[in-house]
Amino acid sequence: MRKLKRIGVYTFLSIAALVSIFPFLWMLVSMTNKSVDVTQGRLLPGGHLFENVRVLFESVSMVTALVNSTIIAVITTFLTLLIGSLAGYGFEIYRTPGRDRIFNILLLSMMIPFAAIMVPLYRMFGGVSASIPFLGIDTLAAAILPTVITAFFIFFFRQNTKMFAKELVEAGRIDGLSELGIFFRIYLPTMKTAYAAAAIIAFMNSWNNYLWPLVVLQSPENQTIPLLISNLGAGYSPDYGVIMTAIVIATLPTALVFFIMQRHFVAGMMGSVKG
Amino acid sequence: MEDFRFKKSWLSALVLLTFLVLAACSSDEEGGASEEGEAAEDPDTITAWAWDPNFNIAALETAKESYDGDVELDVIENAQDDIVSKLNTGLSSGTMKGMPNIVLIEDQRAQSFLQSYPEAFFPIDDYINPEDFASYKLAPTSLDDKQYGLPFDTGVTGLFFRTDYLEEAGYTMEDLTDITWEEYIEIGQDVKETTGKDMISLDPNDLGLIRVMIQSAGAWYVDEEGTNVNIEGNEPLRKAFENYKAMMEADFVKANSDWSQFIASFNSGDVATVPSGNWIGASIEAEESQAGDWAVAPIPRLDMEGAVNASNQGGSSFYVLNVPGKEKAAEFLGQTFGENEEFYQDLVNDVGAIGTYTPASDGEAYQTENEFFGGQSLISDFSTWVEDIPSVNYGMHTYSIEDILAAEMQNYLKGKSLDDAFADAQAQAEAQLK
Repeated sequence: MRKLKRIGVYTFLSIAALVSIFPFLWMLVSMTNKSVDVTQGRLLPGGHLFENVRVLFESVSMVTALVNSTIIAVITTFLTLLIGSLAGYGFEIYRTPGRDRIFNILLLSMMIPFAAIMVPLYRMFGGVSASIPFLGIDTLAAAILPTVITAFFIFFFRQNTKMFAKELVEAGRIDGLSELGIFFRIYLPTMKTAYAAAAIIAFMNSWNNYLWPLVVLQSPENQTIPLLISNLGAGYSPDYGVIMTAIVIATLPTALVFFIMQRHFVAGMMGSVKG
Repeated sequence: MEDFRFKKSWLSALVLLTFLVLAACSSDEEGGASEEGEAAEDPDTITAWAWDPNFNIAALETAKESYDGDVELDVIENAQDDIVSKLNTGLSSGTMKGMPNIVLIEDQRAQSFLQSYPEAFFPIDDYINPEDFASYKLAPTSLDDKQYGLPFDTGVTGLFFRTDYLEEAGYTMEDLTDITWEEYIEIGQDVKETTGKDMISLDPNDLGLIRVMIQSAGAWYVDEEGTNVNIEGNEPLRKAFENYKAMMEADFVKANSDWSQFIASFNSGDVATVPSGNWIGASIEAEESQAGDWAVAPIPRLDMEGAVNASNQGGSSFYVLNVPGKEKAAEFLGQTFGENEEFYQDLVNDVGAIGTYTPASDGEAYQTENEFFGGQSLISDFSTWVEDIPSVNYGMHTYSIEDILAAEMQNYLKGKSLDDAFADAQAQAEAQLK
């Protein structure tokens, strides 16, 4: 009976695993097929991989887009972690009047959809364009700045800071460290898992970000990967084999970041729930 | 002291880092920055946004080659929906920063841009003669007697069909020429019975075919002014809905749920006909093994007075934005798409795009026989049908009304009476668009 139950459980899990991994397999198989085969639902690998890769790199500036996406994602991740953790740390460690009220207002801002602030933001960057061109519309800086600081990461780091032993702060002060010194020398090394988890989320968000880069980046030299993929599917007769190839290439960095930091990621997320 | 030094080094590291970040971002941007600076004067480079590298972008590139003016054209590829988002954000923010000189807009969307942001567009009456273009293209591209759009491609429709399947069922080209949708349905039943193949592939959530049907009778979802919702009492629309339901009930429809399935339906040889805009030809030709098996007849018409065997699906036009360089952009369009017959022959030969500039249709390239379609002079046929397309005012809300109608279509197919379905759709559309 027990064995039977086990077989049942494993069958169910296997089917569930297959269902969730199928789109990924389909993507990999499709990148080796011709467009016509992809639309007809061919499930076997074909011999069209090199052709697809060649067409992709010849027809669009894949390398430029990869470089742009990497620059944006790395800088965004770095700044998000720095600012988010500083703010989250501050909210938890320093007792100031009204801090919870301010924090609640901050959390409310998570509910405003980005589309609602897009037009005013565009207007702001348009205004800046004339006097500070390297921050204006159609610059990578404009794609980065509005996304580096979000209420989510402040919340995330504040929750994680709740697990941080506050005695360490006292000890640091007694030993003569400055407040920033305590943050960088004591807090940062002990919170590695939280940083790893945040880094994955921030990197993926930035790598996949679509709407704001779409609106603010105009010239092809500044294109990011999601914009490039969107363009590939834009024609009246899109080449699905090439699109799948581009998607696989675009997925690799996020998958890589995830696998490298996977262990920390799970631990960090659990920390934020427990807190 | 130790503490102070430490603090200082961290602070200076931060400052340094900020500079590095900004420098890294700006080093790529020097080109863009200097462009912004020159934007106040007349730029030497004009930019254009379009969406299909094999079609409208290729057309712009061809135009660039045939143009001998002193201007550089920079064509930027963006998906059509992306262009709509970018334009909406840019124009409603009112800054015009980052906006291109020339933009391609689908005809059915054009009025919503022209009427919402009339100041943002530059009229081009002085650069082209609107009468040179197919008359049905003018209503969507103009506003208040000013011509804003330069009509580009036609979405003239045709009935693409598999000659081998139809022959098996006992039909020839002649039997499919100038028929009504009722006759089409009868033929479809025969085809299904004899060959076992479906007649058509439809996406139940996409009413593209309904639009094709009603335009062939000169009707639309809105009245002639383009402002009032016209669903209740719209005879062509009623006929179109009835035909649609008859097709569904005749059991020869292969359902699809997205574009790739639609393309697969004919690439795999599962359906016998594809009534569609001429641009689908490229996707049909992609399946080389079917060469010689296809032909194109005129689109069927609604069985009512005033309906013709010609209609339109899709099609777009070029617009000049009111930013520095607008005169140069308008001049460029005017001297290529606006008057160069020779260029239109290249357009047909190299790009396969059928323009709506009528003087060009006598040219040699238009007579070319297409081997894939059994030697039919496809372009010539299409451009004959272009002249018959009834002109309609698309108004501003085609897609929002269509969402409502698509839902009512489902109710109608499930058994709701057409009167009720139309009354409900009319009320809902009026409430929503108030």
